[in-house]
This record gives sequence, structure tokens and C-alpha cells, in this order.
Amino acid sequence: MAGFISAIRATLTELMGHDDAAAPCLPRGLPDAVRTVALHGVAILIDYQGPGYAQLYCDRLRRFVGRHGVDDALFCEIARLLTARMSYHDPIRIAQLKLAEPVTASRAPVVDVRRFRADELISALPEIVGDPLLWALECVGCSHRTIAMRFSNVGWWGRRRLGLEASLRRWRLLSVRYEMERRWVERWLHMIDRALTKRPEAAAAVVQTATMIEGYGTGYRHGLAAWHQIIDGLAKPVFDGALQLPDLADAIRRARAVPLDPKGDQLRKAIAEIRARARSG
Amino acid sequence: MAWRGPHYISRNDRQLPMDMAYLQHAGSAFASIFVVATCTMRTMIPLRVFGILTNVILIAVSIPTHNYPTMALHAVLLPLNAYRLHQMLQLVRDVKKSVNSDLSMEWLKPFMTERRCEAGEALFYKDEKAEDMFYIVSGRYRLVESGIELPVGAIVGELGMLSPSNERTQTLECIEAGTVLSVSYSQVEELYVQNPEFGFFFLRLASARLFENIHTLEQRLAKNSGTAVPADQLA
Repeated sequence: MAGFISAIRATLTELMGHDDAAAPCLPRGLPDAVRTVALHGVAILIDYQGPGYAQLYCDRLRRFVGRHGVDDALFCEIARLLTARMSYHDPIRIAQLKLAEPVTASRAPVVDVRRFRADELISALPEIVGDPLLWALECVGCSHRTIAMRFSNVGWWGRRRLGLEASLRRWRLLSVRYEMERRWVERWLHMIDRALTKRPEAAAAVVQTATMIEGYGTGYRHGLAAWHQIIDGLAKPVFDGALQLPDLADAIRRARAVPLDPKGDQLRKAIAEIRARARSG
Repeated sequence: MAWRGPHYISRNDRQLPMDMAYLQHAGSAFASIFVVATCTMRTMIPLRVFGILTNVILIAVSIPTHNYPTMALHAVLLPLNAYRLHQMLQLVRDVKKSVNSDLSMEWLKPFMTERRCEAGEALFYKDEKAEDMFYIVSGRYRLVESGIELPVGAIVGELGMLSPSNERTQTLECIEAGTVLSVSYSQVEELYVQNPEFGFFFLRLASARLFENIHTLEQRLAKNSGTAVPADQLA
């Protein structure tokens, strides 16, 4: 209920034309090298969602300020990849980006046609509606079907439509997709934290695993599934002490080099081989 | 002068005896006072009490005047208001009882939602913003950073609601599938705001649990070092 109230409040505030949300505050002690990347991230996330969401980004960065084993280069990568993941591509974001494209007379306007999975579109709805619809979609076996969506800033109607789609961002934090992304980001940060504690030499490789998840549609799903396979099969067992891998970073790199297939069989086989070799060695 | 039978006035194409019409007007005016009074209530218990009184008056007025839709509406609202009032009074009684006995948080159970957890699933992560508290019903759960396993019946995250940083200090992972009950902080805040008496006892309970934690730590410290610091000095 609190989420709905804040979404209604944010929508009304926007309609009234003023936003009194406090500007996000960068964490104290943030290295200068990271500050530039973090400020860029804050600007993107304010545009993406709002100042409150950008503040969440700053709070997440604060966990690594002064942390042993986090040098400026690694911290910059965390800040950059965190920005990318927190501004994930959903139909609302694509409408926002299209709306921001400049329309010039010298260049012919481009109409983007993007294909989204049916479950991806449904997961943009608030959980209370999205969850039962996703269940129904799964029951009839249509969740993987792709649907084409047009994004055009040509003409009055095209821009109005994009504006309407972009305005749905106020409701984004109530969506099924947001909850999924929030859990993913928290898990990724948790894995970095555990890597820094248990296997600092592998922390950079764990940070870089975020690049496995990009874009939208089927490619995004495959990347996400592969990421969970690698973390559950290699990183987490090592941090829990259930698996002894002398070079975790190398194992992650080798697993990532395996081409992605829809069912993840090749990756599963590769991980099983790495684990078997570690046990026998 | 001979009696000429009751006077009638017209209302909604129906003829009501004059006395009944007066009763209806007087009853409606009286009920309106209670409706206004209900709306002015700031907290839940008086609001429900006035709601019940309004329901009773409107039912009483609508029976002799044959205003059945109003009667049906308030016949539905009356048990609803009574049930909510009972729930609120029960909550205050349970919290008070808990403060004076075992400091348990079981009274929150009726307001919690059941959630199934699979092995390997994390309920929350360290440093994440805390938003819910959990009651462990079944299964096995471990705090990852400290390695402590939590028993069935444990409440997790009740102090996070009152802590200034509002962040998790550890990660809670399910190691054997089970069920937890969860309630969001905003729901507890709603109860707190709606019912100041509950709020007062909730604060006392949270403080008592905090003191109990200090006492446990103090005992552990005494075991390890052989010297103890009194709890009142730590507070």
C-alpha cells in the first residue's frame, strides 16, 4: 500500500510540475576517481527514475567506501556496472530514450521496432496484477513468445504515446521486474562483498560478471540464467567452503567463455567439469 | 373533533405516516452527527466505536421507515467494524501481555503473510535496506556472515525498524526449505500510527528486547573474560 501511495504522490507531483524530492547525496570519503563515474550514474538514474532511486545507488556505493581490497579502478567498475544494472532496459526505458532523441530536419526519423518476451512485458506491471498474469501465461506456455513494439517519435501522436509510456516510470518500483532486478543487484553486491572477504583475488572477476546481463528479451534471459549458474555452481560454493578452487577468477572466466545455449546445457557441463577437476586435483 | 386517521406525507412515491417521517428526519440528523464525529477521529479505536454507534442508529432508524438498502448496508458494516475493533483491542492486550511476560512477538502473526522459502534462497542481504521482519515457522535458516543458525519461532529484523541506519547487518539464507511469516515495516508503522496505545507498548517491547540482547552479550562477555559489566551501565 505504501508503494502505491508514493507512486500516486509522485504522479501528482509530476502533473503539478514540481518535484521537491531531496537531491541525492554522494557517500562521504568517495575517492575522486570514482566521484566522476558516480556523478554520471546519479544523473542517469535521476533521469531513469528520480532522486530517491539515485540515492539508493549512492547508498549501495557507500558499502565499498574505504573497503579493504577495493582500489579506485575496481570501485569505478562497480559504480559503472551498478549504474548499468539499475537502469535496466524495459519498455519504459526504451520509450524514455527514444523520447530524448533529438528530432532534426536534416536526418530522417527512425522508427525502432523492439521484440520483448511476453513475460517481460507483463513483468512491467505492478506485482498485484503481474504475478497472476505471469502464472496464467506460464500455464498456457506463452511466456517465451516475443512481441514486437514500435517506438517512434515521428508526429504528435508518436511523441504523445512515448510520453505516456515514459510516464509509467513512476509505477516502475512496484513492478515484478523491479523486484527481480533489485534481488539480482543485491545478490551481485553480496557476492562482491563475500569475494572481498574470502577470495579478494577473485573480486574483479565477480564484479565483471555483471556484464553477462545486458539488454532485454531472450538475450537478457539467457545471460541472467548463465549468471546464476556460474554463481551457484562456482562462486557461492567456494565462499561457503564447500568447493576448493585454487583460481576462482580463472574458473569464472572459463565458464563465461562457454557459448550460451537456450537450456544452458553446455555451461552446466563446463561447470561440472571445473568442479570435478577441482575435487580430483 | 373526530380523529381523521394519521396524516401522510409524500416521499419517494410512497406514503409514510407523519410520525414515521419525523422519526426518519430526526434519526438521520442524529446519525449525521455521528458520521461527522466518526470522520473527525484521529485514531482507530474511537473511529471504530463511533462507526459502530452510527451503524446501530442507522439500522434502528431504517427499520421503522422501511429503508431497506440503508439497513442492509449498515448490517454489513456493523460486524465489520466490530471485528476490526476486536482485532485492535486484542492486539493491544497481546502486546501488553508480551511486555509483561516472555517478550515474544507472536502477537504480530495475524498481520503477517506466509512465504515459502527454498534452500539456497536469501531472505535478505547484508547492507540492504531493511523493510520487513520475519517469523520463522519451519525449515532451517543461517546468518551467512556469522554462521549462526536461527531456531524455529525466531523473529528476525524487529529492531531494524527502529534503527537509524535501517540497514541489514547480516545476510539470512535458507538452508533447508521451509516457511516464514513476514510483515513489512510500513504495516507495523500503520498499526503504530492508528493506535497510540499499541505504539507505546511496542516501543516498550522493542526496548525490552534490546536490553535482553545487551544482557545476553554481557553474560557471554563475562564467560569469556571472567568480568561482567552491569546492564544499566551499558544502557
